[in-house]
Amino acid sequence: MAVLSTPRSAVQLASKGRPVREHLFRIALIASLGIAFVFLAALLSYVLVEGWPRIDSRLWENMPSVRNPDIAGAQSAITGTLWVISLTAVLTLPTGIAAAIYLEEYADKTRWWNRVIELNIQNLAAIPSIVYGILGLGIIARTFGLGFSVITASMTLGLLVLPIVIIASREAIRAVPPSIREGSLALGATQWQTISRQVLPASIPGIATGSILALSRAIGEAAPLLMLGAVSFIRFNPDGVFASYTVLPIQIFNWISQSREGFHVLASAAIVILLLILLLMNSVAIWLRNRYQKRW
Amino acid sequence: MTDIGTSIPSVTVRGPQAPGNTAALDPVFTVSDLSVFYGEYEAVRQVDLSIGNREITAMIGPSGCGKSTVLRCFNRMNDLIPGARAAGKILYHGEDLYGDHVDPIEVRRRIGMVFQKPNPFPKSIYDNIAYGPRVNGTKGKMDEVVEEALTQAALWDEVKDKLKQNALSLSGGQQQRLCIARAIAVKPEVILMDEPCSALDPIATTKIEDLMQQLARDYTIVIVTHNMQQAARVSNRTAFFTADVDDKGERHGRLVEFDETSRIFTNPTDQRTEDYITGRFG
Ligand SMILES: Nc1ncnc2c1ncn2[C@@H]1O[C@H](COP(=O)(O)OP(=O)(O)OP(=O)(O)O)[C@@H](O)[C@H]1O
Ligand SMILES: [Mg+2]
Repeated sequence: MAVLSTPRSAVQLASKGRPVREHLFRIALIASLGIAFVFLAALLSYVLVEGWPRIDSRLWENMPSVRNPDIAGAQSAITGTLWVISLTAVLTLPTGIAAAIYLEEYADKTRWWNRVIELNIQNLAAIPSIVYGILGLGIIARTFGLGFSVITASMTLGLLVLPIVIIASREAIRAVPPSIREGSLALGATQWQTISRQVLPASIPGIATGSILALSRAIGEAAPLLMLGAVSFIRFNPDGVFASYTVLPIQIFNWISQSREGFHVLASAAIVILLLILLLMNSVAIWLRNRYQKRW
Repeated sequence: MTDIGTSIPSVTVRGPQAPGNTAALDPVFTVSDLSVFYGEYEAVRQVDLSIGNREITAMIGPSGCGKSTVLRCFNRMNDLIPGARAAGKILYHGEDLYGDHVDPIEVRRRIGMVFQKPNPFPKSIYDNIAYGPRVNGTKGKMDEVVEEALTQAALWDEVKDKLKQNALSLSGGQQQRLCIARAIAVKPEVILMDEPCSALDPIATTKIEDLMQQLARDYTIVIVTHNMQQAARVSNRTAFFTADVDDKGERHGRLVEFDETSRIFTNPTDQRTEDYITGRFG
């Protein structure tokens, strides 16, 4: 009996139909990834092929125009985008990270107002961006009197991405093990020393990644800026935060709505530029992450 | 566990006193009528205890009886837990540790702590040791401070060539000695250790125990341990805690017996102590 039962149990171990299911699951996962990848590749190759004839120095040396697609460029839109996104970063990152530190390290979660704040930050992240445009127009442009300027655009986009920055930073801060905080405090460090010398350095990779993803969203936004004066053809570069401006997504939108074919080519070329800026930002995120991880 | 009972008579007890010889206790901490609450829950009830200067005091007892809770009162680490509260008195050199004017940061600078799981910072070995002195604004030669602390923690020879290496690359036992060195580097008077060897193998444990013996010449040490032989081997005095169940079914930690280690292990007064150390309970 004992001799017979050994091979039987071996057979039972081998077949339960699980390998097939595992396999199907794997295939489904790879297929999902494949779909995302194929669409992205199609999109990229389309704009590259379409825009190729116009990806040359005219694009960044000339100003926008609707008269002649051959001499029109996107210089003011490129500089406008850089101005707006840099100022957005300057305004949003310190605020967002500070808010995340407060919520994670200081806020007493048993107090109702802290819970209300938390809940509303989650909700804010889900509000359509056009609503922020209305807010920016009503309060920042009109009430604050900042008009249709770079700073109005940056403040509006800043509000738009602030919840994302806060949520990403909180995740990163929460990922630092409590034992690190305890170890620091037990040595007589103050809470602020513990945060600034242990918690923040340990969470910088996560904060950087989240922040840059948030800014990547801001850089592609056209809807709120449509309401904030970015629509007109601007033929000069912004010379400060109070200057008029336009940005790449709006410029692209304007050209695509022209009927002449030459402008569509120009739009594709501008999309490539926008994608390059995005790629650059993401590389910075990866570089930051690797740099800080290597040090430890 | 059961063979501990038979080994009791042969337990060797450290320290200047011979077994049964009562040396006068020169108190660093005097705990009287200490109760600790987590919210409404009274985790520890009415503890009276003294911690002797430059002695090793062991706290033993079954899981959940409040050893860590009491230990964390000594450097006010419980302040960090929302809702935690201590009632009663802990005097540190005669001064009320929970007095209004007392700064917990200053308390923790003088009373260091080593945790159950080694928790080195994700920085270099050097920066781990230098962190405490730096946040405390120590001026002067940091290299010397680091070398001295590592030497005292019996780790210098093993790491002197790789001070710039990440502390997380050390072994568990080395990490724990690094944490001890880190605590020593701020020159505290007292070192609290909460089961410092429970994540370590026997050889690393022996090293840490030897280290404790050496440190006891300069420091006051309080150690929580589940290892009865360890308590017997290293400590001068032992506090035995247990948990009582009240009418409502809640468990409250209590100090049952506090005495010289030799007496606790050879001739305990309380039946519960004897049951515990002979392995009949817990
Ligand atoms: N942060 C906390 N919040 C609420 N209750 C707690 C907290 N920490 C400990 N307790 C409770 O206090 C009691 C004593 O816990 P403590 O950690 O001091 O026990 P212990 O003797 O150290 O146990 P162990 O030997 O398992 O470490 C337990 O009932 C525990 O559930
Ligand atoms: Mg404990």
